[in-house]
Amino acid sequence: MDSSVIINKNIVKEFDLTKKLSTYKDILSEFSKISAKIKSNLKSKCIVEDKIDPRLFEQNQFICHGYAWFETYRISLEHTFNWFNDLCISGESSKLEELVLASAFSEYSLQMRDGIMMSQSEIIRPLKNLDLDPSDFNFLNSKETKELINYGLTEEVKFGIVDFLDKGQFPKLGLKDETLEMIQDQFKKFTDDEIIPHAHEWHLKDELIPDETLKQMADLGVFSIAIPEEFGGLGMGKTAMCVVTEELSRGFLAAGSLGTRAEIAGELIRLGGTEDQKKKYLPKIATGEILTTAVFTEPNTGSDLGSLSTRATKSGDDYIINGNKTWITHGARSDLMTVLARTDSNQKGYRGLSMFLVEKPRGNCQNPFPMEGMSGGEIEVLGYRGMKEYEIALDNIKVSKADLLGEKEGQGFKQLMETFESARIQTAARAVGVAQSALELSLQYSKDRSQFGKEIINFSRIASKLAWMAVETTISRQITLFSAREKDNDIRCDIEAGMAKLLAAKVAWSNADSALQIHGGNGYALEYPISRVLCDARILNIFEGAAEIQAQIVIKGLLGK
Amino acid sequence: MKILVCVKRVIDYNVKIRVKSDKTGVEKDNVKMSMNPFDEIAVEEAVKMKENEIAKEIVVVSIGTEACKETIRSGLAMGADRGIHINSDEDLEPLNISKILMKIVENEKPDIVLMGKQAIDDDSNQTGQMLAALSGFSQATFASKVEKVDSFLNVTREIDGGLETLKLSLPCIITTDLRLNEPRYASLPNIMKARQKKIDSIDVSTLGLDLSPRLSVIEVNDPPERKAGIMVKDIDELMEKLTNEAKVI
Repeated sequence: MDSSVIINKNIVKEFDLTKKLSTYKDILSEFSKISAKIKSNLKSKCIVEDKIDPRLFEQNQFICHGYAWFETYRISLEHTFNWFNDLCISGESSKLEELVLASAFSEYSLQMRDGIMMSQSEIIRPLKNLDLDPSDFNFLNSKETKELINYGLTEEVKFGIVDFLDKGQFPKLGLKDETLEMIQDQFKKFTDDEIIPHAHEWHLKDELIPDETLKQMADLGVFSIAIPEEFGGLGMGKTAMCVVTEELSRGFLAAGSLGTRAEIAGELIRLGGTEDQKKKYLPKIATGEILTTAVFTEPNTGSDLGSLSTRATKSGDDYIINGNKTWITHGARSDLMTVLARTDSNQKGYRGLSMFLVEKPRGNCQNPFPMEGMSGGEIEVLGYRGMKEYEIALDNIKVSKADLLGEKEGQGFKQLMETFESARIQTAARAVGVAQSALELSLQYSKDRSQFGKEIINFSRIASKLAWMAVETTISRQITLFSAREKDNDIRCDIEAGMAKLLAAKVAWSNADSALQIHGGNGYALEYPISRVLCDARILNIFEGAAEIQAQIVIKGLLGK
Repeated sequence: MKILVCVKRVIDYNVKIRVKSDKTGVEKDNVKMSMNPFDEIAVEEAVKMKENEIAKEIVVVSIGTEACKETIRSGLAMGADRGIHINSDEDLEPLNISKILMKIVENEKPDIVLMGKQAIDDDSNQTGQMLAALSGFSQATFASKVEKVDSFLNVTREIDGGLETLKLSLPCIITTDLRLNEPRYASLPNIMKARQKKIDSIDVSTLGLDLSPRLSVIEVNDPPERKAGIMVKDIDELMEKLTNEAKVI
């Protein structure tokens, strides 16, 4: 690009920045007042005798979810502000981060007044849907706020951001820790050298990620991050997990998702297992010797796990498992299944469910299930390839009492719930990685592609897309990292984790769509990696809690508080 | 055997370099920095020697601002044992770097000194040779293979005519070329271990060296921008331009 943005550090500018920051802070506090007002409106609509009334809650689902989205925007914006503020304090901020913050505030503030797209076809309009009064938003019209909001929408800000991107500078991650920065650096290198050059071929050929790559990842410690040190893991926590996951997913969604499997099983066993179960499985999960697969979903049971029908019938000291399961990711090349089944057929809903640790011989593409009583078929999918999806039938699979997680019946759903926070944070990080890859691919394309005598990156409509991708990727990364830090500090963060997953998945899809648009017709060709990223991005709004379920979780948490 | 590996903190090779507007140098503020890739190869070679039980201890040394500790730390995460950081805010030229390293060599008494053949920022390619001159150690530059044979090191170098192999007595200095090895990624366990490893800090002023500069940078400029090509109408015009304008034939 021709123009160059020079970092101006004179005193006047710094004064400006302080003033800007205080205006942003005011905006946040005004929005928090509005949030309180919406919440109280909704409570009066849905709460009877201090409890959410299921019927009223369902009647008001659309507006309730709308508020979940409003809060997701507000909280994410708050953490984007904190990100920038921390960078300023540590002296790491540059003009780029300032521009990103300006753009984020302008766009999100206006959407929070005029309308937030919950999906491509559902817009929540706070003024109309959430019983607000135009005067509630008067603060946006005060002189200073208005100036700042208008500034964030200018071509200057947009092209300013793109100018940095063009020079290879992306918004700082704000990891605030030297070790995390080193981890990020190493996994970035690994992804650039070992994943990105092959990812598209793996996808097009619909192959499993090669065993050698899996081995490399295991050697780097990917599967041991969250396993406690006493069981052979690194006990590093969720922030490190997010950093690694984002980088791997930037290369290939399935690469970032391999860790999810170890994470789910590892957390189930760490939190719910007996000492013997921990000793038996955790060290081997940490080294990658045991690959795990989650066996929860059934053909008629997706989000509504309470209706699950696979049975584990007691027979002496053993259990006999029978039932059909589906969407079993990495079902063939795995050694240990975590199977959710009903042990008490008299108990409907969540209560009769138990979790089993079922060992199985590792299969491959030719012979996916070399085990008696286990059969199944592959589900061919648009994207999210590299591990393969299966539907399976379990026919009289015998397991012992020692294989019942925690050796306690009826705890399955509760045990699974305890892992949800982590799984959502990790999935949000996967989405951020996919969002970043869409940005990087389209940035490169827009520099290589010339039309009408210049590289297309110089056109306003291309620059808007690129700049916004960088801004929203940053916003979703910051809410994700925030949730991870809270989790690492043992602070409950189920609401924020849900928000992070909800927002990051939406951003990944929106980035992938914009990135493909930048590629024009070429993006529609299978040959270009962006075609894969689009397919991969689509799953993020569905798995680990579909967007609608995620909004439901967020709003239940918010109204319950 | 003890190996001293010298590493330099440079602008990351992925970064598009920007020349400062006053032409005094390049923009380093808010720019990603990392270990000079040739030095990374030197660290990898040292770690391999340790794995093959040729070396017992690897010491990583870096000279520069406080931030150089991060660079040392990444060497420790690759497998080095401890670090030495020489604190200096000055931009030091190769001779002065060599003088400082000579002090470290006197203290540490390494058997092998490894470093990249050059740093990717100033491309000087001088430090290894100058240190060899100051120390009187045997030297092999541009190493593409290092083998221990009895009490000697056989070092293969890529030269214009092919490959040259030198037999070095110890102590020695080896500068590493691109094809010597492929540096490993630091694994998560090793990154965690590196946090516990020791880095000693020494202020450059305590070394009692005359480090006054002998070089001065007059101006730093961007490379000239590529100009668009032109279409010639026939071979004759092409020949004419090649002969008279480009003067290449």
